Amino acid sequence: MNARKRGTATFILACLSPALILMAVFMVYPTLSIFAISLFRWGGYSKEREFVGFENYKILISDTRFWDSCRNSLFLIVTVTAVTLTLSLFCAYVLTGYDIKHKSFFRVVLYIPNILSTVVIAAIFSAIYDPSRGLLNSVIGFFKDGPPILWLGDRRLVIVSVAIAMVWQAVGYYMVMYMASMAQVPKSLYEAASLEGAGKARSFFSITLPSIRPTVRTTLTFFVISNINISFLLVRAMTGGGPDGASEVALSYMYRQAYTNSTYGYGMAIGCAIFIMSFALAAFVNLITRERN
Amino acid sequence: MTSEKLYKAFIYLILFLFALSVLIPVFWVITASIKENSEFYASPWTLPKGFNFENFTSAWREAEMGSYFLNSLTVTILSLVILLCTAIPCAYALSRFHFRLRRAVRALIMGGLFVNVSYIVVPIFLMLVGLNGIFDTTLFLNNKVVLSVVYAATALPFTVYLLSGYFESLSREYEEAAYVDGCSHFRTMVSIMVPLARPAVITVILFNSLSFWNEYIIALTLMTDDRAKTLPVGLMNLMKAQNAAAQYGRMYAGLVIVMIPTLVLYILLQKKLTEGMSVGGIKG
Amino acid sequence: MKRLIALALAVFSTVALVSCTRKTTDNDSKTTLKVAVLESAYGKDMWEDIENAYEKMNTGVDIELTAEKNLEDVIGSRIKAGDWPDYVHLATGREAGLTETLIKEEALEDISDVLTMKIPGEDVTVQKKLIEGFTDTLATAPYGNGKTYLAPMFYSPCGLFYNAGLFKEKGWKVPETWDEMWALGDRAKKEGIYLFTYPTAGYFDSFIFALLAEAGGSEFFNKCMNYEKDIWDTDEAEHVFEIMEKLASYVEPTTVANATGDNFLKNQQLILDNKALFMPNGTWVVSEMADAPRAEGFEWGFSALPAIDDERYSFTFFEQGWIPKEADNKDEAKKFLAFLYSDEAARIFARSGAVQPITNSSDFVKGENALFYSVYDDGARAVMGGFRATEALEGVSIGETLFNSINSVISGDKTVSEWKEDIEKVSDKLREALK
Repeated sequence: MNARKRGTATFILACLSPALILMAVFMVYPTLSIFAISLFRWGGYSKEREFVGFENYKILISDTRFWDSCRNSLFLIVTVTAVTLTLSLFCAYVLTGYDIKHKSFFRVVLYIPNILSTVVIAAIFSAIYDPSRGLLNSVIGFFKDGPPILWLGDRRLVIVSVAIAMVWQAVGYYMVMYMASMAQVPKSLYEAASLEGAGKARSFFSITLPSIRPTVRTTLTFFVISNINISFLLVRAMTGGGPDGASEVALSYMYRQAYTNSTYGYGMAIGCAIFIMSFALAAFVNLITRERN
Repeated sequence: MTSEKLYKAFIYLILFLFALSVLIPVFWVITASIKENSEFYASPWTLPKGFNFENFTSAWREAEMGSYFLNSLTVTILSLVILLCTAIPCAYALSRFHFRLRRAVRALIMGGLFVNVSYIVVPIFLMLVGLNGIFDTTLFLNNKVVLSVVYAATALPFTVYLLSGYFESLSREYEEAAYVDGCSHFRTMVSIMVPLARPAVITVILFNSLSFWNEYIIALTLMTDDRAKTLPVGLMNLMKAQNAAAQYGRMYAGLVIVMIPTLVLYILLQKKLTEGMSVGGIKG
Repeated sequence: MKRLIALALAVFSTVALVSCTRKTTDNDSKTTLKVAVLESAYGKDMWEDIENAYEKMNTGVDIELTAEKNLEDVIGSRIKAGDWPDYVHLATGREAGLTETLIKEEALEDISDVLTMKIPGEDVTVQKKLIEGFTDTLATAPYGNGKTYLAPMFYSPCGLFYNAGLFKEKGWKVPETWDEMWALGDRAKKEGIYLFTYPTAGYFDSFIFALLAEAGGSEFFNKCMNYEKDIWDTDEAEHVFEIMEKLASYVEPTTVANATGDNFLKNQQLILDNKALFMPNGTWVVSEMADAPRAEGFEWGFSALPAIDDERYSFTFFEQGWIPKEADNKDEAKKFLAFLYSDEAARIFARSGAVQPITNSSDFVKGENALFYSVYDDGARAVMGGFRATEALEGVSIGETLFNSINSVISGDKTVSEWKEDIEKVSDKLREALK
């Protein structure tokens, strides 16, 4: 028995160590080292670094542009998550629960945006948002007259425009996740409900949603993580943070400070702050969605 | 009964609009790639005048997308192999065994989900530069294998997370039967459990090959040599064109060259996609 | 810990040997000169010609040329890895700001001695051949200490570009003062044409610099560039702000939406389509828009800024070449740099439309281009340079505050007085951080 136990221990160790070594070298060590770099004044190239302690973090706290970019990130996390969640749940439910023709066609097509690189998505949306010849304004102009809407040129609209692109990109992905989860809900539950006279809409709220609740809860964490990342890639390719910083998100601001403002150490302080804040946000979401019983 | 029909028509309408919002832009990118350069100054939604395949030959040869394509293919496949060889055992051990540090290892992996490549890339780069110094080689940079290892490492948290979710949903009986038959832990994992987890593995392959194929921040930093570039990095050079005569047709041809393999792979694997996604368990 | 990681990596790398990319070592005694250049509007062919010409002249030198549109990304990594190029052609004022970073980090070689070198194959020194004034600017001597760190290359007058054909057709006169400018703007609006557009807010650098010089002469301009105290709170600066405020109401409304790195061509297209009259730009715009469709009778026109009082100014943009302090072959790089001012090199550059700031440059400039370069012969005065180098400051950037904010001023999201306040704040901070 003891030998067997030792064998098990060896097996577990052998299974875990390759992944853990990779994680340690390429994730843990770099994360620790960006924290170390964030304590220095350094432009990123020269050999001289000046140790400044937590000075970069002090600057960060009073840097209004940083907080503006965080507000944009938070706005995107909240709105994109809410809209994407609703739409993808709707599509997933319709495609699993209803007798829809060409089901697999819709499933395949709706997922496509997720496999496109952000560069392609940015190119697509800048053609859609073009103020004078873009698809969106052409469609709107069909219904009403007036000056063109400047989707990417208006300080208030630009972040909404980015949000629309993000929703477009994400719906298919979460839809597939929810479909996978909904497929596992026992059919008998629906049959019982239908015998009691519950309609499709009722059974969604009384059966489907409670059953896939754990999945939804987990995907909320994914939403937080992927929104932070994708918003950065899209903003960089679509608006460059403009006009005048109106669409700057947390990571793009980090990028600007680290690479174009010659303040690499400060950029890394922003990086650390983003890491901690996204972690805290996910923990918070986790906490408030915990089941109360 | 009519309200039921109306309801269904409404659902079809929404699905149809969604599908259209995806298909039109994708179709648009493809048509843009066969346009002549001068056509790009007109409305972006006009159809191409002719079939200008030259964009593709120009992108493939002059912009060297051909050799970058090969680099990307190598890196993507290699990364997948490394990833699967490390993530599967790790996920298996985490989900099927109880051991002392299990919670800690899980926490570490969950924490890894929050690390973003855009800020750890430079420390990784500097570490590789340091290694070059220690061993007095140039081996660690511009190396497809090193790039693949880095890719695999950054994809580990999500992959392990997804796989262990699936492993957990499998019944204990399979393993017990295998042990009764005298199978070792390793045999049980490789020949019984992994095949059972095939849908999840396929999902993981699809997800990660897409992200490896499209990745450019790490590749841009670690592959400084012109010959070592991957496809998205090569594409960036086609895009960066301020103050330069733009070659739009060629740029869109480049976008299509990047897009096609992902589309093909997706269409091949899409059926398995839903089966393999099991996140956060299910309440019966 | 580090050693442990190194060990672990060594294990991986032995597996990695398969795709080893070992450095090829040149056996012959040739000096390898690593030249890294930005592939800009002028294309990369001219650099290949330069490479050949120089190698022909110096058989002992082998040039390793890197010409990229995203040069910062490519050499940025190499530099971090300690692999410095010997000569770099990359101007300041680019989005990625690599040159600025290296200036701030004092990583550039003092090239004052190149000025006294004889140009290879010619009997004249670099200093003698350069047009006067080019090496006295903050764009070449960024620390204001009289030492040259960046070599002026490819100059280009900047000003307002317009459709000369349209002006002829309508019988309009190109305005010489701002009052005439506004009058024209009102007239054109009645015909559905807007007075002004701009590619991106970054293009306002040459515009505002020239405007500052018009408002207070080159001395005032230099004070602004040196972040002098309260300089933005003067009557001269007030003129500039007034003009900007007024200009905002004449800007074509879709401009801001397209003022990004990917869509700026759409703004330039407005000029070709007769939807807007003027845009600030440089001579490269002609080749940039070469393939674009245009209104019938279109003809490029170019003018200095309208005058505030009577002096008209045109900002002279030039690109910069520099040698890193850490370069391996600094001496050879300096010779190469001197060569770039030779007649032979100037001829090669001119074939692609790039004009070197040398006294006999007009011998090489032909056609449409000659018109642009004649702006100074018509009485406009030149203004050159840029902001003085400072320490890098966290979260503070004069370019963003002074130029990017113009998008908000024009869209009405920021008032001119808010803009001015921001500029003063940033200017104060940077003054403290002057090198």
